[in-house]
Amino acid sequence: MAGMSPSERRLQKELMSLVKEPPPGVTVHADLVEKNLLQWIINMEGASGTLYEGESFQLQFKFSNKYPFDSPEVTFVGSNIPVHPHVYSNGHICLSILTDDWSPALSVQAVCLSIVSMLSSCKEKKRPPDNAFYVKTCSKNPKKTKWWYHDDSV
Amino acid sequence: MSSSTSTPSSSKKLNEPNGSSGSGSGATDGEEKKEDRTFECNICLDTARDAVVSMCGHLFCWPCLHQWLETRPSRQVCPVCKAAISKDKVVPLYGRGSTKQEDPREKVPPRPAGQRTEPENGSAFPGFGFGDTGFHMSFGIGAFPFGFFTSTFNFGDPRPSPAPRGTPQHMEEQFLSKVFLWLAVLFIAWLLLA
Ligand SMILES: [Zn+2]
Ligand SMILES: [Zn+2]
Repeated sequence: MAGMSPSERRLQKELMSLVKEPPPGVTVHADLVEKNLLQWIINMEGASGTLYEGESFQLQFKFSNKYPFDSPEVTFVGSNIPVHPHVYSNGHICLSILTDDWSPALSVQAVCLSIVSMLSSCKEKKRPPDNAFYVKTCSKNPKKTKWWYHDDSV
Repeated sequence: MSSSTSTPSSSKKLNEPNGSSGSGSGATDGEEKKEDRTFECNICLDTARDAVVSMCGHLFCWPCLHQWLETRPSRQVCPVCKAAISKDKVVPLYGRGSTKQEDPREKVPPRPAGQRTEPENGSAFPGFGFGDTGFHMSFGIGAFPFGFFTSTFNFGDPRPSPAPRGTPQHMEEQFLSKVFLWLAVLFIAWLLLA
């Protein structure tokens, strides 16, 4: 691990533990990540017994060299973006731990678990009410959006 | 470090698939790691160096915690449990092995007090958190509140605050909120005038 920056050291540790003990339904493309620790692709299966059962999604994590002090940029990517009141059709996710409530004690695993639970607690598949407007006007980087967090109970 | 007798609650599966190949570096030291994990810094995940512990009992390297406190000077909370935290309220830990008994907090001198706005990347300002006033605003250059359609529904709802109401800590936060609100106003004015 010599020669790594502090962010890379931490990401390497996270990668090892995620490969070893992945949360249910979550897999990481370890080979890809080893090539570039600052960008991860994670596969996420919709949990059984939820509205997303049988679906699978891809999450992209981008890290800056200030990670973990700076939150990762997390978006859904690929062909299947979950239809959810907090997920915009461009893959941006309205989740407070990804910006205001980020803490360096959180991790890729914690973010994944949080997103799994966000999906699992969904009662009706629909897009956020301002989806069309947001998708047209937002920055590419969801962290540049000033989110007004929706009701956390959904 | 690891004594032979104490392996606290290692509920680890014994016959773990040994290979877990792919991740080239040290898959074998997993066992040691579990034992040491208690003393890992909650931020860098390494064994804490220049260790300090917060009043809420969470362990960090002082350099790591210091950097976090600097990241959000307006909202200093424990990364693990979100309790209020500050430089003066952490306790340095001196293990037997550590020769120098100097306070680790002296080593990374805190930057001068007052609001330094770091010229970082020209992107976003690390959120001005307005605590619990029911008015939340943070902004970055080039970022505008696009989510406001949805937010109008629950505009008045204060977001959950780390400190319970009525406590001195809460009052302090309220006060700080106001201070930062004014700073933000001044800053906007400055932006407009400059
Ligand atoms: Zn540390
Ligand atoms: Zn704590």
